[in-house]
Amino acid sequence: MFAELNSILNVSPEHFTTGEFVLLSDRQSDASFLMHHFLGFYLRAGCQVCFIGLAQSLSHYSAVSQRLGVSLSQAKERGQLVFLEGLNECSAILNPDGVRTGSEAMAFLRNPGAGLRALFQFAHSSVNHSWGAEERAGDAGGGPPVVLVDDVSVLLSLGVSADAVLDFSHYCRATVCSQLKGNVVILLRCDREEDDYDDVGSDEGLERLLRGLTHQCSLALHVQGLPTGYCRDIHGQVEVCDRRRRADGQQKKTTFQYKVHDRGASFFAPGTSSAVL
Amino acid sequence: MLHDLLQGLDAGGFLIIQDSCSYSGRRLLWSFIKAALNRAEVVHVLSFEVSEDELKNGLQESPIERLHFHNAYSDPLGWTSRGAFTVDQFCVERVAQLAKQSSRVKPPILVIDSLSWVLRHVSPPAVCKTLQQLKNGGFVGNLISLLHSDMHPRGMVGSLCQLATSVITVAAGGDQAKITRRLKSGKVLQDEELFSIKDDLTVVGQSKPSRADPQEQEADPTANLTFNLRLSDTERDAKEKLALPFVFSKEKKAALLHTSSGRIVYEPDANDDYDQEDPDDDLDV
Repeated sequence: MFAELNSILNVSPEHFTTGEFVLLSDRQSDASFLMHHFLGFYLRAGCQVCFIGLAQSLSHYSAVSQRLGVSLSQAKERGQLVFLEGLNECSAILNPDGVRTGSEAMAFLRNPGAGLRALFQFAHSSVNHSWGAEERAGDAGGGPPVVLVDDVSVLLSLGVSADAVLDFSHYCRATVCSQLKGNVVILLRCDREEDDYDDVGSDEGLERLLRGLTHQCSLALHVQGLPTGYCRDIHGQVEVCDRRRRADGQQKKTTFQYKVHDRGASFFAPGTSSAVL
Repeated sequence: MLHDLLQGLDAGGFLIIQDSCSYSGRRLLWSFIKAALNRAEVVHVLSFEVSEDELKNGLQESPIERLHFHNAYSDPLGWTSRGAFTVDQFCVERVAQLAKQSSRVKPPILVIDSLSWVLRHVSPPAVCKTLQQLKNGGFVGNLISLLHSDMHPRGMVGSLCQLATSVITVAAGGDQAKITRRLKSGKVLQDEELFSIKDDLTVVGQSKPSRADPQEQEADPTANLTFNLRLSDTERDAKEKLALPFVFSKEKKAALLHTSSGRIVYEPDANDDYDQEDPDDDLDV
């Protein structure tokens, strides 16, 4: 959890808005450090978290979260965190002779054209109960449910269409955000340059998915490298776009530069890096 | 022209509001809904992309008793079996049935938010056919719809806009609208307008984007300098009185030139006897 990012977004683990759909995207950069931030943030806030990890294994997230001061194994033990390890499930499903049959959530691997309904149902059932409600009899239960997905571009490369991913994210939003009053955070990694301006509506999966998710989201954080090139002290810039309904109808866009450290990340206004001042 | 459209479309009118991910046209769509409700018209909203709470929060202080909300947002594909409107029910029979739920004499206004959602699941020809039948069959009085133009190929967007009688494109920047209106006589009107939407969803039109702006307001080059480039009045007079060295007045020219007594006398000599056909004078003819 990065304290500076919390102050930029004006949230804290005790006080944050629900019903948010957050889109993390990057272009030729790596926005996964933001995913670690949100995972730690929502665990600290006491939310019921369902993490769909398709890009890395659980041990990777555990190791990084350990450095940030959050223990994923303890969260799993007390039932606060449900972790879908996509990489393990993939091998179980693709290996029909194996002992484990693999979770039904990854059934789209056998049939990519069928869509992500099973994955959505897995996420829905994971967050549809409150963790620790038995132990804390006096409380109303845990915090709001949160679904995090890392990352959806893996789904595209596995043969799922952009439309199916947009349907999945729509259902996450309709159920988790609107009905259960929780939050959804989705990471989308775009590795290619923005070179398809000629035909904006073409079925280029990644760009179309990015536009579709941008239309659906209420908060978008876009990470890219510095336009002037590589810098040792500044790893890139983050554009924060708040799409919630604002008084004048305009979206609020602010840009920050960041540097990722061993145990966190620091954010600062452009041009104010400590290396420069 | 934006205000004319807000006052109401002609019967059988179809308005498309096009937006992109840089600027959302949803608030403009809500302004149209609010204007229709204020005119005491019945509005049916078939919503795929926003929940009922979000819409009603957005339309605060409007007479929403005439608003009928059809929930296609919670379960448009039937995954959770929650009994709402699904996208494969988007055909003229089902939609007309929805519109008949209000008991007014005049056909209601149908708002679809958004057509992009429908186009992802229903083939474009079927969508166009349904819209055309709804428009011309008298089931609905007017159709207003939101379309995300960056989610579809240009051809598809173009085909849908052909069906529409009015198209408003919200340009990036958020406050500029390009409006195209097709009147029943066949005439097409186009306009560009600046607008802003206030908190209570009233649209305030601003002046047209002025192209004369760069010509006015030229920066004064003699301002903000550390040395003085300006002239006082006495200095300006002295400057204008100064006689430049090689700019002569008429009197000085006359005195110097002696034009009245000049006469040129020419006597050709042998060298000037120039034979055109033998310039070097060496032909042995």
